[in-house]
This record gives sequence, structure tokens and C-alpha cells, in this order.
Amino acid sequence: MKQLFYILFLAVNLNATAQDETTFIFSKMDIEAQHILWDDTPTMLMGFTSMMSSNIDIPGPTLSYFEGNSVELKLRNMSQGASHTIHLHGLDVNQQNDGVPHLSFEVGHNETESYYFLAPHPGTYLYHCHVTSALHVQAGMYGLIIVKPNTGINETWEGGYTFDSEYAWMSSEIDLAWHEDSIINSPHDTTSMEFHLPDYNPEYFLVNGRSEQQLTEDGIAVVATANEVILLRLANIGYYGNTYHFPMLLNARIISSDGRALPSIELSDSLTIMPGERYQVLLQSTYEIEEEIDLDYFNLNTMEIANTQQIPVSISGYFSQTESTLGKIKLYPNPSSDKVIFSKEINFISLFDGKGRLLITKHNSDYINISNLAKGIYYLNIDSETKTIIKQ
Amino acid sequence: MIRLSIILIVGLNTISSVLASSIDRSLYIISDSIQTVDSIYIPYLSFNETDIYTKDSPIINIYSGDTLKLWVYNLDTITHNFSIKDLSDNYTIQAGDSVYVEQVFMDEGLYIYHDPLNYPKNTYLGLAGMIVVNDLDVQNFYWNIKEHNAQWNSDLVNSLDVDWGNYVPKYFTINGNSNPHINSDSLARITGAVGETLYLNIANTGLSVHSMHFHGYHAEIMYSSAHANHVGRIKDTFPVYPMETLVLKIEPHQPGEYPIHDHNLVAITGNNIYPNGMFTTILITP
Repeated sequence: MKQLFYILFLAVNLNATAQDETTFIFSKMDIEAQHILWDDTPTMLMGFTSMMSSNIDIPGPTLSYFEGNSVELKLRNMSQGASHTIHLHGLDVNQQNDGVPHLSFEVGHNETESYYFLAPHPGTYLYHCHVTSALHVQAGMYGLIIVKPNTGINETWEGGYTFDSEYAWMSSEIDLAWHEDSIINSPHDTTSMEFHLPDYNPEYFLVNGRSEQQLTEDGIAVVATANEVILLRLANIGYYGNTYHFPMLLNARIISSDGRALPSIELSDSLTIMPGERYQVLLQSTYEIEEEIDLDYFNLNTMEIANTQQIPVSISGYFSQTESTLGKIKLYPNPSSDKVIFSKEINFISLFDGKGRLLITKHNSDYINISNLAKGIYYLNIDSETKTIIKQ
Repeated sequence: MIRLSIILIVGLNTISSVLASSIDRSLYIISDSIQTVDSIYIPYLSFNETDIYTKDSPIINIYSGDTLKLWVYNLDTITHNFSIKDLSDNYTIQAGDSVYVEQVFMDEGLYIYHDPLNYPKNTYLGLAGMIVVNDLDVQNFYWNIKEHNAQWNSDLVNSLDVDWGNYVPKYFTINGNSNPHINSDSLARITGAVGETLYLNIANTGLSVHSMHFHGYHAEIMYSSAHANHVGRIKDTFPVYPMETLVLKIEPHQPGEYPIHDHNLVAITGNNIYPNGMFTTILITP
């Protein structure tokens, strides 16, 4: 009898110590429109916050864990009406914790419930409400989950790729008709599974809830130095397809998707991400760049691009020279506003912008005229060798 | 050693020729209708195994190396075409006429047979099915996924023009069914047990991209007709482009019932009613 008690005690104790991460999150709904879009239009949201007093923002708070963490995620529903859940998108949790109302549980107003899971493979995941999901996701009830390796360094996964800095971009859209009070704040009949929704015609195209000039904000715009390795965590929670166009000189390497390494790295200056997908991409430039990453949003029925957002990229670290040397060839002046002159005649000269677009070619010349170019940084290929020049 | 190699090669060839066989099938093109999730009948066409109409174009299962010998009969009142996408020639079939198609399938994969006449018109209206070339002894499931706009179906069968650049589908189906009826289709509803190997064969015969998300499990891409570089990727969300086929391998590690649905969440609706669209569940026993 004494021995049996000892064994039971050990079991209870182990269970308690395995619970090493607890996160509290609130689900809320705006009483009036408070989220300001890029053109100063206010819109009403449902969403998740990390504090009860916080305004809803999109995306919701990023949940970060280390691989193997045993997590209790507590959801307190303060939304004044609708039930909510948290679906842990991509974490492959068990049915009870999957956050789908009729297959697990939902959390009613003023209730608190917990989701339990082990943080799986390092990578980028999502969470979102799965109650009337088409509406609640469009309303703003989503966020990122990031799982990092337990290695103590900036590494994609144990034995993976090291990086110096990281950015997480969650793309989505807003159709204001879906955010009207009559839709977002309609009566919530928890006994009915069916819900009438408007046609979807988004007017706003977002990265982390921002667009247009808002994309210069810290945490969205890429600011780095030459040779810095940047990890991009990309997720599409919208209902349109996305295609990212990376400037060629960022040397984009696509390394993983949906929390798993790709069988082989893919080098590409574009990447398409469909709803629900996530990708991780490494960027590294050896050049100074003032460019942008273009992000297309396209209609999945017609494939037509509805909008393109531009995320600024600023890579510093280049030191200007009035006279540069390329092998045995000298070029000057650099920066220049007019002509760049070479120390000898060149067989073939080509000039590119930061997106790799060919702007000028010239044969058998000892200069090129750049007076018609806009100010910026350009890339000169001289007989198959590359050099940076700056237009003043 | 050289002689041994030669003997081995001859041996393999012999085995292959013995195992390869001919598969005789017939397909009948019939114009009729399909019932939507909200019980509306809209004009629709399909290939059928007999001259009796069903909405489901048959799934043709064969092994690699097999020769498919196919008679296609046009029971419609207008001309149709027949082609196995990326493999066969394009055959014209006058109303009331038939064609004979013979095709060898050397490699495992998933192929779409369809009517490419006036593409995408006839394919959109339902004339598309799948040919599964699979040598493995595993449990297979099959999704012919597409979307529908009721007014467009009526306009198209009445020879009216539609603006393909302004396509807005209203119904989203797997094997012609929407939620909750998909789970009643044993070919579509994925069931199995922990530790089993399950294959899901997906053909997108519609016009929209569908981004299918799995709850509970990751799956491995075994075949992609449009993106060969995606083979071997292990993911939880799988875009399927129009006229693309995809074969996924699922090896369930846990029991339970989990949704699989289009993560373009608009596609979970049926005529704007949530959740009457492309939503099903996988059911795994311990």
C-alpha cells in the first residue's frame, strides 16, 4: 500500500512539471470601429488581444514557443456575444484541442477554457477562430505562432540555417462589407450551423494589418546591413493568393513550408503563397539596396491581380568610392550623375536595377551614360563581373 | 559480372511485359443536371460508365505499363471532344458518334480526361474525370474538386456567352457534393486507422485555385502534375491549381475526426451560406 502511494505521487508530480508554458489570450469584438486603415478609414474588428484592456489589432499577438514546450493556452472570451475558439493551424494537435466547434469545444462569452499542446517542429504556424470561420477570420481573429528550436541561437531548426534577424509578415485582406455592424455583430445563434455571408470583394490588402505608407513601420519594412542573413516568416490568412517578388540582389532562398523543411532549397525571386500556407525564406544581399519587395494579391477565381503592396527594403553597408576598381578596370566617378567612365574599353556592358531589370547595354565602349536614370543604386555587369554604382 | 547484368535486365523486361495488361472501358457523354447543396438543379454534363446518367465521371484505376482501351460515346446532341490531358491526342466526337482511344500509361500518376472543346466551357460544365495510375496496395480516396455558378451553367448550355474573366463561383464541391454531403461519399471521405498509409488523389477540374488545409495531420506530396518540384514536400495546406492533379500520402499518427477544407474560406460557403462548401472530415480510428 505504501509503495502504491509513492508511485501515484510521482505520476502526479511529473504531470505538473511538464506544464512549462502558459499563455493567456482574450477574444474581443469592437463596439465601434477603431482600427484605422491606411486611408484613415476606421473599421470594426473581432480579434485576439494579450491583455483585456488592449484594443484589437490585426494580426493578434504572436505566440512564441520553443520546440517541445508543453503549452497551456487559455482563452478568455470577452466578445459580448459570439462563441469563439482557437484553431492551432498546422500544429497537428489532438481533436480535443483542435478548436473546431462541433468536433472539440467552443468558448462562450465570459468563459475561459484552455488548449493544451506540445510545441512541435520549429517553424511558422497560425492560429485563428474556427467559429463561422469565413466570417471570424475575415473579422480579424487570427495571429501567428512561431516555434523556435531549443538551441539558444538564431537557427531555423536544430542543425538548420542560422540567421541574424527575422521578420514575420501575415497577409490578409479586408472587405468593409463584411465588417458592417449587421454582419460582424449579427445575432449569434449557437444552435445554428448556418450563416449567410456577403459576396467577397476586398478593398484593402494588408501585411500585418497595414498597407501602403503604413508598410514603412518598424517590424514590417526590412532594415539590415549587407551580408546580414534575414529570415522571413510568411503566412497567408486571406482569401486571395499572394505572390512575393524579391529583388534579385536579395538572393532569396526558400527553405521551408508549413513547419517542415523543403526537400531541397529553392532559389527564386518570386514565391506564391495560397490561403493557409506558410513559407520561410532567407534573404541575404552583399550589396547596398534601397528597393521594395512587391506583394501581389490575386483573385483565386480569375487569377487577376487585384492589388500590389510594396514593402520597403533598405540594406546598408556599402561605402561609396569616387573611383572603383573591378579587377584591373577602374571606373569613375561613382556615385555619378551623368557618365561612368572606365579605364579601358569594355567589350560588353550591362546595367540592371535592384529587381534585376536590364536597363542599359553597350558594346565596345569606355563609358555609359546614366543621366536618364532615377537616383538609386544600380548593378553593372562588365564582361560577366558585377559592380555596384550609385546614381546621384 | 557483365553477363549477370544483361540477364537481370532481360528478366525485368519479361516481368514487366507479363504484368502489363489491357484495360477496356467505355465512357458515355450525357447532358443532364446536378443538384446543389440548397437543392437547386443546374445544367451539368458528365462522362458515364453506361448510358444511364450520374453526375460523377468515373474514376479509372490502372497500373503503370497498362494500356487503356477506351470507347467514348457522345450521347449529347452537340459535338464534343475527348482528350487525356498532356498525354493523348484530341479526338472530335460528333453527336451520336463514338471514338476509340488507346493510351499506354508508363508512369504512376494522376491524369485528367476531359472535353477540351471551347475550353474551359465543356470542362467547366462537368466533362472531366480522373485516371489513377498507382501500383501500391494502399487505401485510396478520390477528390474531383470544382466550383459552379448556377446562372453560368444555364447560360452556357443555352449557348450564351459568359465573361470568363469575371468568374464568381457560388457552389464548391468534391465529387459533386458540398458539406455536409461529402462525408457520405465513401470515395471522398478519408477513413483509416493510426499507422495505415492512405493516398488521396485530387484533380481540380474547376477554374479556381483551391488551397486544401488538413487539420490533425501533415501529408506528403507524392505526385503533382503541375509542380514536379513540390514532390516530397510535407505540408498541411495544398494549393491545387485548375487542371492540376495532386497525390498525397497521409500516415495518421493520432486518432480522431479532423476537418479538411479549402482555406479560401469563401469556398466553404454554398450560395453564400456557411459552411455549405468544400468542407469534409477525416476519421481515424486508434
